[in-house]
Amino acid sequence: MNEAFTAADLRALVAAGQAQLRTLRRYPAAFLGQIFWPVLLPSVWVLMGQAYSGNGDPQAMSAFESRSGTTGVTLFVFVGYAMYMWLSTLLWGPGTQLRRDQVTGTLEAVFLTPVSRVVPLFGPTLSNVIWTFFDLVVVGVAVWLLFGVVLPIGGIVLTLLITLAGMPAMYAMGSFFSASVLRFGEVGPAVQFVRGALSLLCGITFPIVMLPAWAQLTAQAMPPTYVVEAMRAVLLKGAGPIDILPAIGVLAVLAVVFGAFAIALFRVLEASARRTGMLGRY
Amino acid sequence: MTDPAVEASGLVKEFEKGRRTIWQRLLRRPDQRTTFRAVDGIDLRVETGEIFGLLGPNGAGKTTTMKMISTLLEPTAGTIRVLGIDVAREPRKVRARIGAMLSGERSLYWKLTARENLEYFAALYHVPPHETKERIERCLVAVKLQDRADDYVERFSTGMRQRLALARALLPDPPLVILDEPTVGLDPQASRDLRDRVRELKRQGRTVLLTTHYMEEADQLCDRIAIVDHGQIVALDTPAELKRRIRAEEVVRFEIGLTGDEAPLLGRLSSSASIARSERQNGTLSVTAHCASARDFVPTMFDAAQSIGATVRHVEVVPVSLEDVFISLTGRALRE
Repeated sequence: MNEAFTAADLRALVAAGQAQLRTLRRYPAAFLGQIFWPVLLPSVWVLMGQAYSGNGDPQAMSAFESRSGTTGVTLFVFVGYAMYMWLSTLLWGPGTQLRRDQVTGTLEAVFLTPVSRVVPLFGPTLSNVIWTFFDLVVVGVAVWLLFGVVLPIGGIVLTLLITLAGMPAMYAMGSFFSASVLRFGEVGPAVQFVRGALSLLCGITFPIVMLPAWAQLTAQAMPPTYVVEAMRAVLLKGAGPIDILPAIGVLAVLAVVFGAFAIALFRVLEASARRTGMLGRY
Repeated sequence: MTDPAVEASGLVKEFEKGRRTIWQRLLRRPDQRTTFRAVDGIDLRVETGEIFGLLGPNGAGKTTTMKMISTLLEPTAGTIRVLGIDVAREPRKVRARIGAMLSGERSLYWKLTARENLEYFAALYHVPPHETKERIERCLVAVKLQDRADDYVERFSTGMRQRLALARALLPDPPLVILDEPTVGLDPQASRDLRDRVRELKRQGRTVLLTTHYMEEADQLCDRIAIVDHGQIVALDTPAELKRRIRAEEVVRFEIGLTGDEAPLLGRLSSSASIARSERQNGTLSVTAHCASARDFVPTMFDAAQSIGATVRHVEVVPVSLEDVFISLTGRALRE
């Protein structure tokens, strides 16, 4: 990783994403599963919220608005859930792919090539972009068909922009786990823990003002917090491009910090894997 | 003068044996792991253009050596230069010049077609885009898989997957090809086929470094062989020279059924042959003897057996093989 990332490495990065996509295409049933969850689970939470609030009782809605800045409970929950799906794909996806490569034996074959180590680290995650946008589309269609909420066109465009802006930081975060696979093999329990912690901290299903002060501070250092807040701002509060610029700026800074940490971590763990022979073990 | 294809000096690789749990670390309990030396001071020089084999039983340290040469493992001590390049200093440069097939059929993406696998790896090997198509075709033809290029790898036989793994190793057009147990798990026909491909690589002027535990394969393919045991090279020479080390023309393998002590029998036989190996199991003594003439030795062996009331159950006379060389050097058979 201490060698230059060349144009040939960039082509290899795209090829890695392409190979991953080709594999994904050969399991079409997975796409069906991806429709089911983003609809079912948030719908349950929305119905639960409606029950708790006396089905839109003005006093309850006002209490929610004072904490979240919106009365659009349905979209609030669905946007949070889209974030949760993205987090799951990110935290599980690349690490799982690298782990699969390690178990099947393809990881050693990839590491025998002169390609930059950035490619096996980030390449497989490229295909996850498809899942992310797919989830967003499913969420948009679900809130319209099931709850009659129509998303504003401007908000949709800005949501896509926020997603793109959040990707580097989010993927850098996900790559901590793929790097850890090199040295530790199975990282499933760590992924479960971190996903749970992030769901709690980053305001997936509730506004982060509900958290204690120290937890809110921690949430400020996490990319999902800014992504989900910015999405809610443009879809629920009519925020424009200028309003979300601060969030995009923070996401850029976090991308640099998390990306540098991911690369450093990968270097240390790869060196350790080369000492211990973990690359070929499972 | 050209650099040797591979030059390794004082190569050592140690692994930790046993485990240390997180709990033990937290409690700061003493580390009770021991060190296991998989490679123990190997010196090696592979000349350009030769087929060089590492022959030894499973666990001898062959694959560990290959992995260090191909940059996958970091040596505990020692230096390696591949085509004149220091592996520790410039691993990426080394990887660009070698084609390696280390985990055979396991190293392919089974849900992709043969062509898709090669397209992906061509990008990883930095093959220029305008050359990729032609290079892939050439590699597929080289391993005779051009007719199955667009089939999923999961539908291939083991032999076809091994050949595809070899095609992948050839993608960077490497001057050095590293093959770890290339014919393991293959039927005789597929093995023969793959060996033909390896000979073709030599004809193309490439250097081939391979490991095997099949003595016939090493004998038929390699220009020079290093016999490896317990992480050390115990002999290194051409197959013919290695076999000449055994001062015998023929090898007699026989089995004798006996109830008493075998020492007197072996003592008597050792006056007319060199007893390379003897093993007793369930009343059967299996012996490998190296002799100048089986025609003289076999009657002596029958007489000796008869004199102690033992029965000769099986006799086999074979020419000297690398297996015999291994036995004479280590006292064990390759498969033990």
